[in-house]
Amino acid sequence: MIEIEGLSKAYRRTRALSDVHLRVGPGMFGLLGPNGAGKTTLMRILAGIVHPTHGTIRVAGNDLATESGKRATKAMLGYLPQELGMYPDLTAAQMVDYMAILKGIGDAAKRRRRVAEVLEMVALTAVADRRIKSFSGGMKRRVGIAQALVNDPRLLIVDEPTAGLDPEERIRFRNLLVRLAGDRTVILSTHIVEDIGQTCRDLAVLGRGSVLFRGSPAELSRIAEGHVWSVTRPQLDEPEPGTTIVSMLHLADAVQYRVVGAWNDPGAGALPTPPSLEDGYVRLMQTSS
Amino acid sequence: MIRYAWKTSRRELLWFPLALLFFFVVIVAMLPHPGVRFTITRGYLGFFVPLLAGITAAYAVLDDPALELRFATKTRHAQTLLARLSLLLAVQAACAIAFQLFVAALGVDLSPLGGVLDVQRAWLVPTLALAAAGLAGSLASAQCVTGAFVAGAVWLVQLLMKSWLLANGPRLYLFMGILEPARADLRASQGVLLAASASALFVAWLLLHRQERYL
Repeated sequence: MIEIEGLSKAYRRTRALSDVHLRVGPGMFGLLGPNGAGKTTLMRILAGIVHPTHGTIRVAGNDLATESGKRATKAMLGYLPQELGMYPDLTAAQMVDYMAILKGIGDAAKRRRRVAEVLEMVALTAVADRRIKSFSGGMKRRVGIAQALVNDPRLLIVDEPTAGLDPEERIRFRNLLVRLAGDRTVILSTHIVEDIGQTCRDLAVLGRGSVLFRGSPAELSRIAEGHVWSVTRPQLDEPEPGTTIVSMLHLADAVQYRVVGAWNDPGAGALPTPPSLEDGYVRLMQTSS
Repeated sequence: MIRYAWKTSRRELLWFPLALLFFFVVIVAMLPHPGVRFTITRGYLGFFVPLLAGITAAYAVLDDPALELRFATKTRHAQTLLARLSLLLAVQAACAIAFQLFVAALGVDLSPLGGVLDVQRAWLVPTLALAAAGLAGSLASAQCVTGAFVAGAVWLVQLLMKSWLLANGPRLYLFMGILEPARADLRASQGVLLAASASALFVAWLLLHRQERYL
C-alpha cells in the first residue's frame, strides 16, 4: 500500500526526517517515537500536505511528488491530525457532512446516508445535532474519526489520537481503530507505547527523524532481553549512565524499581525480568542515543 | 458548499460590515445637507467598503480552525479561494447596495459619479483590488494580520498620495472612479486594476499550493 524510499524533510535549519525507508501493508501499523521524532511530519507528508525534501513516496501506486498522485491519494485518505481543529458552531452531523462535500461526495442523499453510518460507527448518533462546542475531548475525537471515515478511505492516518483522552475513552478509541482496520491500512502515530502494544502487529520506531526499528511488538520487546531488572531496596542510588528507572513502586519499607539498560553491576537482589514492549522501546532509545 | 462556507466563516465577516453600514446610515440620517450626504456616501462606498474587504479577505482562508483537515481533502485550491472570497464580496456587495438604496430613499443624488453601473464599478474595482491584496499578503507572509496590514497600507498610501498617483500612475489609482469619475482614462484604470487583482489572486492560488507554510 505505502512505499517510502529515501525520504528526507528539512525545515530551514531543522532536519525533521532523514533517509526514511518504509513499506506498509494493510492492517494496523504503529508509528512510535518520542516528541519531535518526526512522526507528525511523516504523517503530513503521507497526507499530501507537506512536500518532502528528497525521496519518493507511493501510496497504492500513486506518486506523491505529482499533483495528480497527491489528489488520487487524498481521494482514498482519511486523516485525523494531531491538532484537531473543528468548527465549534457546526453540529457533529454538519461537520461530517461538510467534510464529505470537501472530499467530493456530491450526491446529497448518498452523503446523508454515509454521514448517518459513520456517526453510528463512532456512537454519536444520539448527539448528531448537537454543536461541537458542547462536546468533550473524546467526543470531538470521535467526530474527527467520523469525518476521516466518511469517504470510506483505504488509508486512514491518525496522529496521536488518544492524547488527552481519559483511560476509558482511550480504550474505546483503540478498539474502534482495530475494528476499522480490516482491509484498510491504518497508520497510528503515537508516543504512547501501550496504544501500539494493544493494537498493532507491525510497527516502526522513529527517533530524530530516522527509522530506528521496524518489526513486531514482540521483536521490539526482545531488544531489552537481558537488560531489565527488578530491584527492591530501601533506596536506589542514581542509576548508572546508560540505565533508566522505568518504574518505582513504594512498598511498606522499601521501593521496588524496574531498571532497563546495560547495568554492569546490578548487585545482589537484582532479578532479571522479562521485558515488556515499553522496556524494549526504552532500550532502543538508549542504544540509539 | 456556500451554506457551509458561511457557517464556517468568522462571525466578524458579517458583523464588521453591518456595524460599519449602520454607522454610516446613522451619520447620513443625522446630517441633512445634500452635499454632505453625497460626500459621506462617496466615502463609504469608495473608501470604507474596499478597506473592509481588504482586511476581511486577509482572514478569509487562513483563519480556519480546520485548515489541516481541509488541506487533506482533494478540494482544489481555486475552489477554496472562490468559496471564501465570494462570500465576503457578497457581504460587502449587499451592504453597498443596501446603502445606495437607503441614500436614494433620502434623495441623495449619485449622478455626479455617473450612471448606476459607473457607481457600482467605483466601489467594486477597489474592493476587488484590496481584497486580492489582503489575501495575497496573508498567504505570502503566512499571517492574516500581515495581509490586513498590506491592504490597510495600500489603502492609506493611495489616500495620501492621490495627487502624485494621478500625475504619475493614474491607472493604478484605486479611487479614481469615486473621486475623478469624469477622467477619460477611468475605464483604462479600472481595467488595469482588475488585471492587477487577477494577478494577485493568481499569486494567492500559487501560494496556497505550499500548504505546509500555513500549519
